[in-house]
Amino acid sequence: MLQALSTWLHGTKLSWAVAGGVPWIWPLCETLHFMGLALLVGIVGVFDLRILGMAKGLPVGPIQRLMPWAILGFVINLITGSLFFTGDPFQYIHNVAFGFKLLFIALAGVNVIVFYVTGLYRHVDGIGPGHDAPLAAKLVAAASLFLWIGVMYWGRMLPFIGNSF
Amino acid sequence: MMPLLASIENTAFAAWVRESSSLWAYPTILFMHTVGLGFLVGLNVAIDLRILGVAEKLPLAPFEKFYRVMWAAFWINALSGTALLVADASTKLTNRVFYIKMTCILFAVISMVLIRRRVFGAAADRAGLAAPARALAAASIVLWAGAITAGRLMAYFGPVSGAPGLQNRLP
Repeated sequence: MLQALSTWLHGTKLSWAVAGGVPWIWPLCETLHFMGLALLVGIVGVFDLRILGMAKGLPVGPIQRLMPWAILGFVINLITGSLFFTGDPFQYIHNVAFGFKLLFIALAGVNVIVFYVTGLYRHVDGIGPGHDAPLAAKLVAAASLFLWIGVMYWGRMLPFIGNSF
Repeated sequence: MMPLLASIENTAFAAWVRESSSLWAYPTILFMHTVGLGFLVGLNVAIDLRILGVAEKLPLAPFEKFYRVMWAAFWINALSGTALLVADASTKLTNRVFYIKMTCILFAVISMVLIRRRVFGAAADRAGLAAPARALAAASIVLWAGAITAGRLMAYFGPVSGAPGLQNRLP
């Protein structure tokens, strides 16, 4: 099925354009992918580091107001990443590093779901300046940092471990 | 100039970075450069957004604690960047886009220092920050975006560089 999807994608006009038919699309998407990365990692980093005890003067609740910008970074990367895939699907589908990258993104998603479903979210939301977050929240924050750094690692390893590009 | 650049490129360290098949050479150094970018630019932009009025309920002062992380990320990137630079000295140092990147970073770091000195301070926690503070924050975002753009486009303008076999360019 993946093979069929890739074959179909590869035949589209969009794939042709991204893969070099329109030469500025690929470099533009790469540049946006790095900007999205910085936005996501920076904002999520503020939240995670605060939960872990850095910059404790920050009340946790209002940090959520920065989150739309992290989501914007994620969406930018989802779109540009999908365009890379569309441009050259066969360079990704047999790539181990790409598999791990998707796995780590999925795990980061599960980590966020755990944070909400277990009610940790509500608990943490009320933490005022100077107060410690509970251990469970610290574990979620540490996992988040680890997973996003991992996503960057696997992304960077695409050409080296999996032989893309 | 070129003989000097070539001799830098021919040092054992530069050759190792460029040509070793070890994941600890070029790939890991490039990864460090990416993580450093994420935290340096990302935390800077988070502070800039706060200064520009996003999440105004957050006190600004505690954000100063993140400067430790930002400086650590800066030095990770200065070192990893130097390693990547010596590996391809003759191509990168003759690439005009490289100097655009360095100029953007110079001014971005100046704005980062100025924000700490001028904006973080006794008067920092008024709800509305003064216009100069907002101008600095906006300039910071533009300069970091410029640094990222120039960094990426170095692969497309000027001479080819990078690990052998790594196709930076479009066919």
